[in-house]
Amino acid sequence: MTPILETRSLTKAFGGLVAVNDVSIQVEEGSTHAVIGPNGAGKTTLFNLLCGNFKPTSGRVFYRGQDITNVPLHQRAHLGIGRSFQIINLFPNLTVLENVRLAAQALGHDNFRIFRRASTIVSYVARAAEALEIVGLQGQASVPASVLPHGGKRKLELAILLAADPKLLLLDEPTAGMASEQVPELMQIIERVRSLGGRTIVIVEHNMNVVMNACDRITVMNLGQVLAEGTPAEIGANKQVQDVYLGELYDLPGAHA
Amino acid sequence: MLKSLVPAGRGSVATSVALIGAILLFALYAANFSPGIFAITLLSGLLRAMLLFLVAAGLSLIFGLMDILNFAQGGYFMLGAYITFDIVHPDAGVIPFGGFISDPTLRFAFAIMVATLVGAALGYVLERGLLRPLYKRALFQLVLTFGVSIILLEVVKFLWGPSPYSWTVRLPIQEAQFRIFDTPFSTYRLFVIAMGLLLMAGVTVLLRRTRIGIIIRAGVQDPEMVSALGINVRAVFTLVFTLGCALAAFGGGVAVPFLGATNSLGSTFLLASIAVIVLGGLGSFEGTAVGSVVVGLGWAAMEQFSARPEIGTVLASMSPMLLLALVLLLRPKGLFGEDR
Amino acid sequence: MAQNRLTRFLRSEWIYIVSSVLLVLFPHIVGWMTDSSPFGVQRGTRYIMSGSAVYWMSILIDIFALSVLVMSYNLMFGFTGVISFGHAMFFGLGGYLLGIVTQMTGLPPDIAFIAGVALVIVVSAVLGLGIGFATLRLRGVYFAIFTLAVSEMVLIYFGRWAVTGGEDGFALSTIPVWIDAAQSRINLYYVSLALFAGTFVFIRRLVNSPAGAVFKAIRENEMRAQAIGFNTLRFKLLSITIASVLGGLAGIIHALLAKKIGPEMLNVSHTVDALLMTIIGGVGTFTGPILGASGLTLADVLLREATVSIGSLTIDIGDSWLLILGLIFVLVVLIFPFGIVGTWNRLRMRFTRR
Ligand SMILES: Nc1ncnc2c1ncn2[C@@H]1O[C@H](COP(=O)(O)OP(=O)(O)OP(=O)(O)O)[C@@H](O)[C@H]1O
Ligand SMILES: [Mg+2]
Repeated sequence: MTPILETRSLTKAFGGLVAVNDVSIQVEEGSTHAVIGPNGAGKTTLFNLLCGNFKPTSGRVFYRGQDITNVPLHQRAHLGIGRSFQIINLFPNLTVLENVRLAAQALGHDNFRIFRRASTIVSYVARAAEALEIVGLQGQASVPASVLPHGGKRKLELAILLAADPKLLLLDEPTAGMASEQVPELMQIIERVRSLGGRTIVIVEHNMNVVMNACDRITVMNLGQVLAEGTPAEIGANKQVQDVYLGELYDLPGAHA
Repeated sequence: MLKSLVPAGRGSVATSVALIGAILLFALYAANFSPGIFAITLLSGLLRAMLLFLVAAGLSLIFGLMDILNFAQGGYFMLGAYITFDIVHPDAGVIPFGGFISDPTLRFAFAIMVATLVGAALGYVLERGLLRPLYKRALFQLVLTFGVSIILLEVVKFLWGPSPYSWTVRLPIQEAQFRIFDTPFSTYRLFVIAMGLLLMAGVTVLLRRTRIGIIIRAGVQDPEMVSALGINVRAVFTLVFTLGCALAAFGGGVAVPFLGATNSLGSTFLLASIAVIVLGGLGSFEGTAVGSVVVGLGWAAMEQFSARPEIGTVLASMSPMLLLALVLLLRPKGLFGEDR
Repeated sequence: MAQNRLTRFLRSEWIYIVSSVLLVLFPHIVGWMTDSSPFGVQRGTRYIMSGSAVYWMSILIDIFALSVLVMSYNLMFGFTGVISFGHAMFFGLGGYLLGIVTQMTGLPPDIAFIAGVALVIVVSAVLGLGIGFATLRLRGVYFAIFTLAVSEMVLIYFGRWAVTGGEDGFALSTIPVWIDAAQSRINLYYVSLALFAGTFVFIRRLVNSPAGAVFKAIRENEMRAQAIGFNTLRFKLLSITIASVLGGLAGIIHALLAKKIGPEMLNVSHTVDALLMTIIGGVGTFTGPILGASGLTLADVLLREATVSIGSLTIDIGDSWLLILGLIFVLVVLIFPFGIVGTWNRLRMRFTRR
């Protein structure tokens, strides 16, 4: 079976700095695939290449076997690729509902209907409300996004993604900056989405418990390159990853043993 | 020096060289291949380049540092011109002093000094008093500088009236001429070119070699980072603003003997300087320096070309904007521009 | 149910409905109050445009034209986040193109007028679209400055072009009687009012439509708008094109009232006025541009004649009007940090929350 997402020798250089270096990965349809690595490893840059925000210096990206390297950012959303951001990236002065409704509207066919009130197109509003309910923000639908607390902004980030109902979700540290007691709630939401089935998730996450328990495969990146790849068990047992990296970075129980 | 050119990219330097080369060829053609006229065209171009640079330098640093397009910058140039004119011509003016220095050359030097100081003082007041409360609201700062530019123009009109003055006191330095390929050129203008080049070098050294210069350059890259390092960015803003306005007023002072004092000086130089900094690439000081030379030379060449009766003066007046549009179509971020 | 909708409509829109009625009746109200006829004074078969009612109509026509210009600018700048410094070009071209067609083609006035208006619409749209396309690689300030460059070149060109009278411009004399400001100002008044009201309603509908939602998304965060699947370039082109056409129409009204077209119509000061009035009124609000435009026009009219005496010193405000304008900008910016309507909305929100 062709993987839903594949990269071949993907490379991105910023001047002299090679942020992503010759990365070739394959993501199976329906799987949950984690990308981990220390700060500055190139995870976010890889995501930017996958979603089309950056053009790679060299290498190619395939989606369901189709070469999408030159497909622009906005068209990739229409192919079913959705992405959330590590750094809060919302429409700050629009209401929470508007933020989400835009995502629902984007893939429809009403974008150029200039005499229809956007708030009366029921299907988008309903879809947005549904996404807000999944993340638990239905009570704050009419406040501007900028006044939400950080945890609320993270949920909104996720709701925007869900409203478009993508088949491939690229989640870049969905819990970044959240207080630790709020993290499980957000991870439960992601777990719920996953259990609905039919979706593939690629997630960057620093919490090793989450990664080890919830993911089918893990890719470890370091200095722009792939250090190792495998199932959680394989990665957990990988001497190189353990010694060089996992132990000191995440202080994995047993890593020092 | 070479290192600083690397991030700008080889394309920047190559495009600049090609552009200046093309302008020189065009100037040669416009001069009908006469070496004398060609040389004079070049000198006039450089002269204009230096005046543009004096306005554009402040504009560029202020924009890079604070994201404000200071619309009042042209007003400082105009004010410098009027003050200098007034002090040198005691009978014409409103400033009661100046007459006590009888030697006109000394009086001229004194006048330029006063103009520069007034420019600096007003720049300081504008930044501290009006812009600072609006810190972080660049849009409103833009409106504010525009309001100040209107006020400056109206104050000048109120003090000196709307009609233009032309320079009448003959300074020895102005009378002197030298000949190049048998064509005369004023020594004073050459002197202004030299002074402009010196200032260009001076500001470059200030930016590259001194601590404060390094802070300014870092601030242009990333003001938040600099303040995170515990440096008082606002003091740096004030300094740059003061310096920029002083340079513009100084420019008006040295230019008034050959441009005369007119109400339109401010807007003319403001627009052309905006063309310079954008064409050079916002946030790049090298870009501003190169941009002044490109616009100055291109403008002078076009003026020479327009001297032919069948061409007319339209193209000459358009040339700064024409060059700007051309460069932006070739390089969307200007010659030395970065993402912004 | 239908009745319910009607009362809801009346309740939310009553202020606009009352304003419209007042504006429609305005010439007659002023005429009645000042005992002058809004049709002017009859001399034989002609009407001479004089009297208070006619004078006040001119001021309102001015406000309508300026408001349309500012509203169109606000669509681009306040709602889509695109800063252009070249909007004066469309305003000026509106006047020039109408003038060229009516004065220089020799067509009968009615046909020439309609052809002129059509030409303005087409050329503004094509030019707006063209500039948008040519500059699709330019962002932010670079786009703004590019538009400034183009508009300055157009200004210089018309300032020197002998056909249109160079610096002096030319008079607009052969226009149909029914819209001639010198013969039937009241008709011009209603035409301008229609354009003004139409623009207001149109922009409100547009901004509240799905396309308008995307405009606002672009203003807030263009990259994110692309990431969720919008081809933002298309929406920016739509916004720029509509704003350009409206700017051209505003220029037509201005030229019809002044009956004269010259390079000053292309002056960058019209762009700056539009920018400043948007900011002063309130960026990205519907009524802010109208408030900014009418406030400054009225201040201009009322203060121009006034004098202030402090002791023996008499200051003629008309002479220092621009100085005062500069001071107004500075003060308003310092006092109303979000523009007048923006500050009002914020205050209201704060009080209703408590
Ligand atoms: N737009 C850019 N321009 C220049 N350098 C960049 C850019 N984006 C990222 N980098 C550099 O590329 C490297 C990889 O950054 P990236 O953000 O991809 O790391 P990351 O793995 O996501 O780290 P983190 O865990 O901190 O999010 C870093 O050294 C970073 O400074
Ligand atoms: Mg990252």
